[in-house]
Amino acid sequence: MKISRETLDERITPADFRNKGAAHVLDKLRKAKGFYLTNTERDLSQSDFKNRIMPHTQILVSAERNAAGFFSIEISGGASIHVDMLRKQINPIEKLEILSSYMPDTIFQTLCRGINLFGYRPYPENVIRMTVQSFARYIQVWRVFDFLNYIPNMIPVFEEVKAAGCILEPSICFSTGPEHTNEFYVRKVGEIIDVTGDEIILCIKNHAGLGTQRRMGDLVHAILQKFPDLIIHYHGHNTDGNDIGRTVEAVRNGARIVNGGDHAFTGFYGPPPLLTIIETLEDYGHHAMGIDRQAIIDTSNRLRPEREYYREFESQFLGFDPTVQIHKLPGGATGSSFEQAVKGGFLHLMPQMLQEELPKVQVELGNWWSVTPGSQILWTTAVNNVLKKARYKDVNDDLKNLMLERYGEFPFYKPADWIYEAIFGKDWKNIVEREGGYQKIEDIDIDIERRVLEHRLGRKATDDEMVLYLQHPNDAVSFFKFQEKFGKTWALPPRIWFHRGGFSLGDRFEFPDAYGKLHNIEVGPQRRTKAGDFITYVVIDHHTEPILTTMEEDAKREKAKPTLSAKEISALAKSGDVRSPIRGTVNEVPASAGSDVAAGEVLVVLEAMKMLTNVLSDVNGTISDVFVSPGDAIDVGDPLVMITLPG
Amino acid sequence: MKTQKTQKIRKIRKILIANRGEIALRIIRTVKELGLDAVAVYEKPDSEAYFLRFADEAIMLGDGPRKDYLDIEKMIWAARNSGADAIHPGYGFLAENADFSEACEKAGIIFIGPPPQVIRDLGNKVVAREIMERAGIPFIPGTKNLSSGDDGIKNALAFAKTAGYPIMLKASSGGGGRGIRKVQNEAELKSQLPMARAEALSAFNDDNIYVEKFIESPRHVEIQILADRYGNTIHLGSRDCSIQRRHQKLLEIAPADLPADVIESMHQTAIQAAHEVGYVNAGTVEFLVNPKTNEFWFMEVNTRLQVEHTVTEMLTGLDIVRQQILIAEGNHLEIPKERVQLTGRAIQVRINAEDPKNNFMPEGGKRVEVYQSPGGPGIRLDGIVYQGYKIPTDYDSLLVKLTVRGYEWEPTIQRLKRALNDFLIVGPRTTIPFYLAICDEPDFRRGVFNTGYLDTHPDIFKYPEPEREIARLAKLIAEIHSKKMNPYAA
Repeated sequence: MKISRETLDERITPADFRNKGAAHVLDKLRKAKGFYLTNTERDLSQSDFKNRIMPHTQILVSAERNAAGFFSIEISGGASIHVDMLRKQINPIEKLEILSSYMPDTIFQTLCRGINLFGYRPYPENVIRMTVQSFARYIQVWRVFDFLNYIPNMIPVFEEVKAAGCILEPSICFSTGPEHTNEFYVRKVGEIIDVTGDEIILCIKNHAGLGTQRRMGDLVHAILQKFPDLIIHYHGHNTDGNDIGRTVEAVRNGARIVNGGDHAFTGFYGPPPLLTIIETLEDYGHHAMGIDRQAIIDTSNRLRPEREYYREFESQFLGFDPTVQIHKLPGGATGSSFEQAVKGGFLHLMPQMLQEELPKVQVELGNWWSVTPGSQILWTTAVNNVLKKARYKDVNDDLKNLMLERYGEFPFYKPADWIYEAIFGKDWKNIVEREGGYQKIEDIDIDIERRVLEHRLGRKATDDEMVLYLQHPNDAVSFFKFQEKFGKTWALPPRIWFHRGGFSLGDRFEFPDAYGKLHNIEVGPQRRTKAGDFITYVVIDHHTEPILTTMEEDAKREKAKPTLSAKEISALAKSGDVRSPIRGTVNEVPASAGSDVAAGEVLVVLEAMKMLTNVLSDVNGTISDVFVSPGDAIDVGDPLVMITLPG
Repeated sequence: MKTQKTQKIRKIRKILIANRGEIALRIIRTVKELGLDAVAVYEKPDSEAYFLRFADEAIMLGDGPRKDYLDIEKMIWAARNSGADAIHPGYGFLAENADFSEACEKAGIIFIGPPPQVIRDLGNKVVAREIMERAGIPFIPGTKNLSSGDDGIKNALAFAKTAGYPIMLKASSGGGGRGIRKVQNEAELKSQLPMARAEALSAFNDDNIYVEKFIESPRHVEIQILADRYGNTIHLGSRDCSIQRRHQKLLEIAPADLPADVIESMHQTAIQAAHEVGYVNAGTVEFLVNPKTNEFWFMEVNTRLQVEHTVTEMLTGLDIVRQQILIAEGNHLEIPKERVQLTGRAIQVRINAEDPKNNFMPEGGKRVEVYQSPGGPGIRLDGIVYQGYKIPTDYDSLLVKLTVRGYEWEPTIQRLKRALNDFLIVGPRTTIPFYLAICDEPDFRRGVFNTGYLDTHPDIFKYPEPEREIARLAKLIAEIHSKKMNPYAA
């Protein structure tokens, strides 16, 4: 179907942005006689498919999506940077380079967690600036938020986005409850504009899909009352099944941009279907600017058969979840919470966890916004409270930092004293006095970090690799090593990448590699070697090639040492033999052999489930041995440090 | 040298090939085409060698490595034992050993090559020089064998005084690029001469050394000749073997790109040289050519089948080994010289399992996991490699010689490139990417090169390591298959 000249003229493309600048784009949005759509592919992938949608699938529908006429496609940011490297083995910056060549007429958008960038903890300012500069080569629209709506946490990103000439889209995180009034949010918008000026898009970030359509309409109306020229982007999730309603009311009250997903892949926690939004709003007399409906339909027609390869990443709980209004988990964290519940064997406790403990914790800790990294803190705390059958006991460092307001001020009220006492002990007042307050992260020495990375890689590192390394050091290094061994495997279709079980003899795959060269691979017979490894005979482009798979890593894992119990670990620690209490990776090793330690000093910092855990010394003594270094994978009971006791 | 005028033919029925590897196979192929029987010999490390499968019989000589292929007595024994009435020595090993030729003669076995005296005369560079000098053939200024001890140094110094440095110290019995040292000044001369002698003694069992003027970056051009016992000698055109590394040929071209009169003059000089020594059978007369003036000098005669005989065969369509056997039987030359066609171009490259970037270090011990070879128009392969072939540590690392034939220079290079790219060799590093780099190098494409080519074009070694993206993806598929999941996606 050929679309009209008018529709094409309505479109906003990277060329407009390049040739006429961000101000021109904003002007076009402001003057538009309808609303624009963002395809929130990233959020759909993150909320409903645990971030697993592969570049192969994105490339498959790139032509249709490029023809659809979206204001932007959000295809980067959030947890995707991490998952790209960790589970999809693709360089998230290279991914953008490739996709932008397939979708040259579509603006790319990212979601950035302010000071937390694409991670879970604050980054130093020089890292933030370097990261934004790197991604800004391919990202034109930067949607930026902070989980406390604490504006200082977003300023370095704001500045760097502006410096790069990109479109800045500061967000106000939205939630519900007595504190979450129009007055509060309008004041927040004012505070943002004070910092950024009004050449921005303002995003109302409804990451959990909270409130009703009436509530959302009121909020948009209230903001525009105060700031009539502001371009508002309503971003919602369809967790309760009602985001179409909120979207419609947002537009009817003046929002200029709304978002949705391709219906063939829409689920229960991500964005609502684009086409439904378009049809509904049209009936209200609101025109979807630049949109080619047929291209949206074609995208989904092409996507439908691919969904089966992602089945295992869809939520364990299917169906809308209107109780989100109670537990307020963001769409992007809902799927992973259920995944964790299944792995941890507490799926049956989920109703209690979500509908009783989590809302309680939320209110007790200040009723701020349940979004990364705050949502992880709330969720982990609620899980601990339930599983340990004792509330606020042995909490992780992220909650402690939050309680000390190191991440920013509590927006409404502070938690009650008894919670401080439960967390910090009787001396909590002094601790808060001594250690509390906003924590400015010192710049790191990038040259030293580069040397460390290059040492770990055994070769020079590119600037992009540096940026990725600074986000997620260990996972980035693992990814770089993977890529050296296996090449650009993102070219593989999901039916190979996510395959479960062995292939069948004679299974054939035909696909183009990363350079567009078509190949076919047929799986042949396999035999086991004396060493226990496997040799698979694979027919590659019509010739047979034997490929050795080493199984030793598995064997190592199978030959697991007898696991020590928590009691045994704690007893050993008292004798100076410090063992790991958890399975994870070593993040930092402040302990050094030969130095003296006192009880309570940090020996090793471990990382698991994206949370840092300090291993403290139980004794006074001299460190005689350090067995681990940053990046090591460790298991429960693995020796970390040996302390010689005095005398 | 007396020449027999009456034809006395002794029909050969069974030929023992006193060699190994690709050249053994090359010879066996012609032996079979002639309807004769081929006897292969081997040392123990070669028990599974590819060439053995093509022979009618195979006889193990001993444990080797290398010493049994050089053992004259064992060769004669093997020939007697198998009833072979002729021996083809191939190249290397005993090919230019006059004693071997003589031993064959004494044993009543036909040696497919020149008579012992010819090998002996030409094998001694100084004797060869004397013969050529008498015939008025241009040769590079040089000395006779140096006297031993200090007198030798005096001889050499005196020569250097008149001819000027640099000069070359050459082993009188050397060949194949071995036993040559370049000397820049008097001090070097004094220090290098004893070493050159020691080296010559151990390599050729002869410590005689002579001196030649060093010609800066000459071209290496050689003429293939065939001569029967009756004084008929023809040439099969020229070969340019200038692209060498440390005097070892890497890439050979037929014919050499030289003005017609120069080439013709070289052809005639070669035939004259062959006549002068009473040459019989196939041989190669080597010349050095001044790349600027096209002046040429006689260098030496190789009294054997050359590795690069393939380019001449591709160009002329003749089978040199067939001619060698017919000549050895006592036949008159089969082909009148008018019928030798020298149209087009042919290029041979030696595809070795070596790492050119690491000083051509052989990849001994590695296994060829995948081998696919090119085909199609104008391609000839002479190889012993196959899927599963293990690069020997005891012998050379040659996998296959690729020879391509075309008409014009440019399309012949394109054909060479195409053929090189169509190889798929997984396992060892090979010289293929190195040759591909040469194919793209502008001077080579223009046909401008001399023996200094590799030194003056160091960028050739900066080629990227060939990477097969698909093989890496297949590795992952195999891993998913073995581990029953993708460990990098979990």
